[in-house]
Parts: sequence; C-alpha cells; structure tokens
Amino acid sequence: MKEKEKPFAFRGKFFALLVLAVYIGLFFFDSHTALPALQKSARVVLKILPIFAVVIVFTALLNYFLQPKQIVKHLGEESGAKGWLVASFAGVISHGPMYAWYPMIEDMRSHGLRDGLIVVFFYTRAIKLPLLPIMIDYFGVIFTLVLSFYIIIGALLQGWIFEQLERK
Amino acid sequence: MNGQKSKNGKQQKKPSLQQALKKSSLAFWAMSPMLIGVIGLVGLFQVLVTPKVLTSIFRDNALVDTLIGTLVGATASGSPVVGYMFGGELLGQGISLYAVSAFILSWVTLGFVHLPAEAEVLGFSFTFYRNILAFVFTVIIAVLTSVTIQALI
Repeated sequence: MKEKEKPFAFRGKFFALLVLAVYIGLFFFDSHTALPALQKSARVVLKILPIFAVVIVFTALLNYFLQPKQIVKHLGEESGAKGWLVASFAGVISHGPMYAWYPMIEDMRSHGLRDGLIVVFFYTRAIKLPLLPIMIDYFGVIFTLVLSFYIIIGALLQGWIFEQLERK
Repeated sequence: MNGQKSKNGKQQKKPSLQQALKKSSLAFWAMSPMLIGVIGLVGLFQVLVTPKVLTSIFRDNALVDTLIGTLVGATASGSPVVGYMFGGELLGQGISLYAVSAFILSWVTLGFVHLPAEAEVLGFSFTFYRNILAFVFTVIIAVLTSVTIQALI
C-alpha cells in the first residue's frame, strides 16, 4: 500500500471563490437574500464547529490506534460481514453534516477502506439516533421503524451494487 | 508497542498522538475552502427554499410527487430536524406520504450543494454512482415505506 505524504495544498479554492462571487453579486442585486443567507451560513459554522473538532480528534485517534493493516483487515477487501456491520453502525451513530466526514473518509480510504462501505456509511446516516424521538413525534413510531428498516436494507444493497459496478 | 512490521520485515514507526492530531488538523485545514464554499451554499439554499416554495411544487400525484420530493430534498439543505419539520408541515398540508418520505430521506442522504466537495474528495466516478444509487433507492424506499404503512394501518 502506498503511503506517500501529500504536500499541503488548499482544496476547493475555485469552488469557494465561485460561492464568494455569487454572494458579492447578490449583495449588489438582492441584498435582502444575501444578508440572511450569510447569517444562516455563520450559524451553520457555529453549529458544526464542535463536530469538526470531534472529527479531527476521531481521525487522529484512528490513525494512532489503527495501523493501515488493521483498517484493511476490519474495513478493507477481506472485511466480510463485519465490515458491513461496522459501516452501518458508524453511519447510524455519526453526527453532523455529510461533508464534515469527508476528511476522515478520505484518510481511511487511502489506507484501504472499501468504497462499498463508504456508500453504506453515507446512506445509513439517514437514521439519526438522537433525533429518532423527534421523528416519532412528527411521523409516528410505525413510520419511523419501517423507514429505518428499509434504510438499512437499502444502504447494504447500495454498497453491494456499488462494488459490483466497480468490478466491471 | 511502538511499531508494526511491514511485509518486507521493516519496522513501521507508529505516529505519536500529537503527530496524528497535527496530520488530521492539517487535512481539515486543507479542505477549509471547500467546506466554506459548501456552507455558503447551504446558507443560501436555506433562505431561498421556504416551506411555501416547497408546498407549491407538489402536483397531487403520488408517483410524480415522490420524484419531486426526492429532488426537492436533495436541493434543499439544513439539519435533519428542519427536514422533519418541513416534512411534518407538508403532510399537514395534504402532500402524500410517498412524497414526504422521499423528501425527508433525500434531505439527509443526497445533497446537490455537497456534490462539488464530494467529487473533489472521493472522485467524480464515486460521487456519480453513489448519488445515482442513493437517488434510485430513495424513491424505492419512499414507495415501500408508504405501501407498508398503508398495509399496516
């Protein structure tokens, strides 16, 4: 497995500049939209800062305790049923927006994490364990249980189909 | 245990916790422009996509509304709680369970505003296939959930 240190470089600079350009344009032509949007974005930043901190610490702990060979063993090509189970569980308990997890996923992928398991992780994130009571409150127990059941089955099927597509 | 032996017998040095923290912080810092871009778009969509806008899009046709629900959920962005609130509001206004299930599911699993970041980190091919699969499965799960609920209640 290649383990080359990549030189430091900012990523997504042009994308960030494009979004900035949209905001600048909006400030000139529709400031009634631009200002609340900026305030909402600032609120999102404040809300997910603790999640970013958790992800940074979690990634560091994974790198510290798990050697690449162990990641391959538990979540790589030979991980079998355990890999699917770990990915599903990790998706269900993970918190925060999807993009907060990209750096950790990228790091683990470079150490051998299977793509099918990433697909499962991303989809099982639809089950939000701490938010289940709120979902039950809005939609009822039966709806919540049925939807959660189908999400897990659907996530596993997607992971499997993804890997079949990759092999072609 | 300070290290592990690699295949060729050489000792691989295990990083210290401080080094591991520095590495993960740098990886995050490198992605900060991309994350700021995504968050900027999230804020914009939160202002532009209101419950009123959402309700006006649906067409009172279960199949079409399921597709619309999936697309709207993928376009809108915000915390899952807000998605549930929107979903509850849509149900209250008579939008079908098919559409609302698709909406709250795609709200969390799909995200057009995340696509550039996902493609940058995980590659275009991965992002393309994952999102196509997630889209198709969201529609299927929404239909299955609604049919099951109707059969159970």
